[in-house]
Amino acid sequence: MRIPILKLNDCLLISIQWELDDQTALEFQEDLLKRIHETNARGVVIDITSIDFIDSFIAKVLGDVINMSRLMGAKVVITGIQPAVAITLIELGIRLDDVMTALDLEKGLEKLQQELGD
Amino acid sequence: MYNKITAHIEDHREELERLWKEQLTSDTDARIIDIMPEHIFESTSSEFFDIILLNLKDKDREYKEKLQSFSDKVVRLGWPVALVVKGLREFVHTVQENLVQYGSIDKEREGDYLELLDKWMTPISNEIIQTYAETWEKTVSLQKMALQELSAPLIPVMEQISVMPLVGTIDTERARLVMENLLDGVVSHRSEVVLIDITGVPVVDTMVAHHIIQAAEAVHLVGAKCMLVGIRPEIAQTIVNLGIDLDKFITTSTMKKGVELALEMTGRKIVELEG
Amino acid sequence: MEIQSCVSILNEWDIVAARQLGRNVAKELGFGTVDQARITTAISELARNIYLYAGEGQLCIDRLNENGKAGLRIIALDKGPGIPDIRKVMEDGFSTSGGLGAGLPGVRRLMDDFNIDSNPGEGTDIRATKWLR
Repeated sequence: MRIPILKLNDCLLISIQWELDDQTALEFQEDLLKRIHETNARGVVIDITSIDFIDSFIAKVLGDVINMSRLMGAKVVITGIQPAVAITLIELGIRLDDVMTALDLEKGLEKLQQELGD
Repeated sequence: MYNKITAHIEDHREELERLWKEQLTSDTDARIIDIMPEHIFESTSSEFFDIILLNLKDKDREYKEKLQSFSDKVVRLGWPVALVVKGLREFVHTVQENLVQYGSIDKEREGDYLELLDKWMTPISNEIIQTYAETWEKTVSLQKMALQELSAPLIPVMEQISVMPLVGTIDTERARLVMENLLDGVVSHRSEVVLIDITGVPVVDTMVAHHIIQAAEAVHLVGAKCMLVGIRPEIAQTIVNLGIDLDKFITTSTMKKGVELALEMTGRKIVELEG
Repeated sequence: MEIQSCVSILNEWDIVAARQLGRNVAKELGFGTVDQARITTAISELARNIYLYAGEGQLCIDRLNENGKAGLRIIALDKGPGIPDIRKVMEDGFSTSGGLGAGLPGVRRLMDDFNIDSNPGEGTDIRATKWLR
């Protein structure tokens, strides 16, 4: 099952609704980059409210996709990281320092609009 | 043998009690006795003496009730457990010496008497120590609960801004709690900025700083910003001297400045109403 | 008293299965959401290590009850190449797979007790325990 990527003006919206296995995570990475290329999107919001854990592999895939998107000219905001997920990430020693984050989808889009300057 | 001892004790009760108290006060750390008013020490030790006697006279039911209420009482009065144990030991000692002195027992059977007396004392000391232990355990768990309750409230002061005042020492256990409360609060109040106030934290060492940095990073992950306020001069000094890097943080010395900054970050400011 | 459940790790899907098992046991034992996330993440890291480095192995979950304290123990066993320098893999940022290098030291931080036993050529045995507070 592939993760659906929605387009809204010049942004792409992704809401990850179920537990990511490795394969799905890698497919998602490919799909997103392809979509950015096709649509010339300038911003991406990835909402992970439903995800209840992130291990180092998924963190790496997410971090990579953010850097890759940036190379292609799209800014990424991650939204809805749960407190428990944030704590485990920190304890694992994973820092997403230069990643933009927001509380929820709405605030994520707001932040993106600000960043994109319109 | 048994009757001999009780008879002797009853006959010489006053003398024994006096000797015993003398022994108790002379050897014990003076501070322990000093903090107790004299009449309380007097009456309590007389009661103590009665209890021991009752035990010897084997009035089982009465004795059990009395022992229970007595152990509760010594614990409540705050008799140090060392003093109580010593009291029991000295009692055996005093009675033994007294018996020998009056020639009530034969020299060669001294050991048997000592053993018998010891056997009598054991349940008393067990009961009292048990009561102490129970009381301590209860106190410790109550205090732990109390500590957790005052640990780390997150206060939503206005729209998008929350404050978490930290008071007291931060250990690993508390740091976990702080982190969980902080993140849950930020998410449920939908706060954009959260101010951690460390005015009430006495010492910021590398460990505490590490916990605070982790908390701030986690706050960033859930999508909010974290500000450290209430940095006193001596805290600023230790932070720099220890080489702790708080560069990524927004820090201010006072809560007032912090709130102003937080308002600015959320695109607002305080204006005075024109009267 | 111990009740053990195991998952064989042969492919990537088994990592998901191991996570689900762990999450369910953690929930059953009454761990809070944060501890559930810690346990699930630790299992994921250990199961992935088996898959990546040993090819196959087993991941077991023990329910513990020691002196009235309940807990959950993750046991990750494989007969793979083993770890030549344990100290090195426990360093933050060390990685041979191009990952984040957060795996084992991360697992140690997520759990309460952590023990690793490994001999080159014989395999690896990692045990990590979380106690219910």
